[in-house]
Amino acid sequence: MKLLCAEFQNFRLLRDLELRFSVDPHKKLTVIRAANESGKTTILHALQWALYGDAALPGKGDGFRLHPIDWSAPDGKRVPITAMVEFELTTYRQIGGELREARRRYRIVRAAFEEVDATARRTASTMRLFALNDSGASPIESPEAFVNDELPPELREVFFTDGDRALSFIEADVAQSTKRERVQRAIRSLLGLGVIEQAMKHVQKAAADVNRKAKQVGANAELRNIASRLEEIDKESGKFEAALADAKQQFAAFDEKVEETDRKISAALQKGDKEKLRKDLEHAKREIKQLDDQLAAANKEHSALFRNREVATELLAPVLRRAYDKLEELHDQGKIPNTTIPVLQNRLTAEICICGEPLVPGEPDCDERRAHIQKLIDDSLRADEIQEIITDLYYGAKPLPTDGNSWLDEYKKIVERRDGLKALRDDGGRKFRALEIELDALPDTDVQGLREARRQYKEQRDRHLSKSSSIETQLLSLRREREGLNVEFERLLREQKKGARILAELEVTQDVSRVLQSAYDRITKEELRKVSDLMNRIFLEMIGADPEQGAIIRRAEISAEFDIKVHGPNDRTLNPDRDLNGASRRALTLAFILALTKVSEVEAPNVIDTPLGMTSGYVKRSLLRTAIRESAQLILFLTHDEIAGCEEIIDDAAGAICTLTNPTHYPKMLLNDPGSAERKVLRCSCTHRNDCPQCQRRTDSDIRPEMAS
Amino acid sequence: MADRYFNPFQAIDIHVPVEFHDSVSRYSQTGGNAVIDQSPFPRMVDFWFLAVCVAARLDLDPEDISRYATKKIIDGAIFGSDPWRVHTLMLIAIGKTGDVEIVSEPRKMMALVSGLAVAGLPKVIEMLKEGDAEPIWNLSDAIDSLLRKRAA
Ligand SMILES: [Zn+2]
Ligand SMILES: [Zn+2]
Repeated sequence: MKLLCAEFQNFRLLRDLELRFSVDPHKKLTVIRAANESGKTTILHALQWALYGDAALPGKGDGFRLHPIDWSAPDGKRVPITAMVEFELTTYRQIGGELREARRRYRIVRAAFEEVDATARRTASTMRLFALNDSGASPIESPEAFVNDELPPELREVFFTDGDRALSFIEADVAQSTKRERVQRAIRSLLGLGVIEQAMKHVQKAAADVNRKAKQVGANAELRNIASRLEEIDKESGKFEAALADAKQQFAAFDEKVEETDRKISAALQKGDKEKLRKDLEHAKREIKQLDDQLAAANKEHSALFRNREVATELLAPVLRRAYDKLEELHDQGKIPNTTIPVLQNRLTAEICICGEPLVPGEPDCDERRAHIQKLIDDSLRADEIQEIITDLYYGAKPLPTDGNSWLDEYKKIVERRDGLKALRDDGGRKFRALEIELDALPDTDVQGLREARRQYKEQRDRHLSKSSSIETQLLSLRREREGLNVEFERLLREQKKGARILAELEVTQDVSRVLQSAYDRITKEELRKVSDLMNRIFLEMIGADPEQGAIIRRAEISAEFDIKVHGPNDRTLNPDRDLNGASRRALTLAFILALTKVSEVEAPNVIDTPLGMTSGYVKRSLLRTAIRESAQLILFLTHDEIAGCEEIIDDAAGAICTLTNPTHYPKMLLNDPGSAERKVLRCSCTHRNDCPQCQRRTDSDIRPEMAS
Repeated sequence: MADRYFNPFQAIDIHVPVEFHDSVSRYSQTGGNAVIDQSPFPRMVDFWFLAVCVAARLDLDPEDISRYATKKIIDGAIFGSDPWRVHTLMLIAIGKTGDVEIVSEPRKMMALVSGLAVAGLPKVIEMLKEGDAEPIWNLSDAIDSLLRKRAA
């Protein structure tokens, strides 16, 4: 199967999106360039929903809203959601001793309605499958069975992978048994071992029938008792086995939840403490307010420079000097009295003269002196109006003529002060914006709540673990009891008349069962080896250029217990989490997925989100090149960062490229106003080499101004 | 001295030619403008006073204000709180006329300094506008360089 195109309506962020995929065997790569939160995960979900329905959604779709979160009521209270996928199948037929290749095209359409309210209730989705031909589209019966054959649902994780999630095949923080089960399930379903499993169940049922016959064979009470007991044991075992499978599945599910919660917690902690950021933001705000107040005061002082005395007197210095010289002249000619009335009046009040003599009323000589001063005052008062004004001016204007430079000094100080404050204010503003961006980028995580959730998941997980081990013990004792009873049963049968025939039947079922079991084991072992070898080859090729890892990694394998293992020198087993770098871990999981797809000989697409995260340089390029070569159809969601350095490879290998944009990223990350704040993924046909007004992004320096410290 | 200090311009209004009134108002905070960088003068009278000073500094001839249609910006009582302004205006009048006796004729002095203001206003408006920055910086730099030309 190869994907041709897909169309989604009202599927979360995908209000109306169309994607085309390359099916050219020489251009196997499709690149969908998209920044984070631009609908990548949503597209992965939507594609899987189209093919497998609600079972492919997180939590099997339970409580998982599909309609756009900002759907507005006037657009209708029931939202129609559709996902359409067109694909191509290549079949080979033997015609007249010749292998003929035939390609057929199909279209899957899945639709559901969802209520726009808190419950987000959804009708069961309907799926229709059409075969496409020149004359149109003809519907196909039982489309689910058709899809299940072509893309087994157990392999969803292999065909549709999120680079980060795919690591769960190897990551240490998942329980060993969970990883094992994932790998085992993936391999068994890809290799079609389900058929043999069915056959083995059949044979078991046949053995039970033989048992029942034995019960009716004769009058031997003991034989009848044993047969009944065996029947009971088989029934009980069946129940226990189902319970065990359920407990194991539950364990894996909760284990995954524990791991997922751990990831969320560490992501939240890594991004920083929201409370602390809020405090920092408050602090920055206060600082800015203080600076603004100081700036306003400095501006006022600046303005005061144009009303103060210095600006006038210093500008007028020559003019004032000239005019005042005229007054000095008059003074020298005695036309301006040396004293003024207020000065003399002050002396009289102070009762001491300028020369130091006392002017105390009633004291000897003093009255005479006081009278003299009073006469001077009276003379002055009698002086004519002009005289009075000039006198007043002469004394009042004495300080005005100046040689000072104080205005220039003051101006200089104000310039420095304003410039200094302005620089601080700019810094403060940048710091504030940077904090705001950082705070906005933080997920609204309640770490406390996550820890509590983790504790509960872990409790559940451990409960299922102890449940399964107690069931295993019970099964074991049932099996022992059965073996013992069986010996006795066969002995008693032999003593019966009709016993020999039943015994022969019993032996046949046992033989068939053994044959099937060994075939099952052999295929598993052989195919496992093939997958293991191919994975090893792809993996080593991907990381071959990394000298750091090259020195410690010798080979990778899938063990008989379905563990993915990496070996170093002297066959020492390496811990993928500790000994492998991020690029190698990614390479290992991609190698496993590609090897599995290839060994199964199922022609299938590999749709991978963020395959090159945490990789760089030569390893990144080699990872991409190898993935392109080993996949039948490779559809990659790449961020701008992941693309960097791989442009030429994409030039060569990509048959289809487009760019997705989330308009709500304006203005923080997008340069241009998209004209709509609707949460909706927009597509443009920009490639990895260009951009347009719709998808043009701010550079890092634009969005993360340096923090002033 | 305060009680004896007298303001000869107490009863005289200060006028500017109608054509400059808008500019005087625009660059003054009392004209209703809050942005200091755009309107550097605290009051309209400060603008007017600086125009007088600039004209005197540049030794411009006073214009004959009676030939202009004028508009009042404030009355002379404003100087009651600033004796140094009164003294400065009187010294300018003496300096310009060479006649000390002019101090007894407030209206004549006011006509003279108002004439200087009319000559100085276009200069100050030019200072405000000329430059790449906000008016306050343009003006500051112009005054700065004017003060540095000691020769005037
Ligand atoms: Zn004396
Ligand atoms: Zn574009």
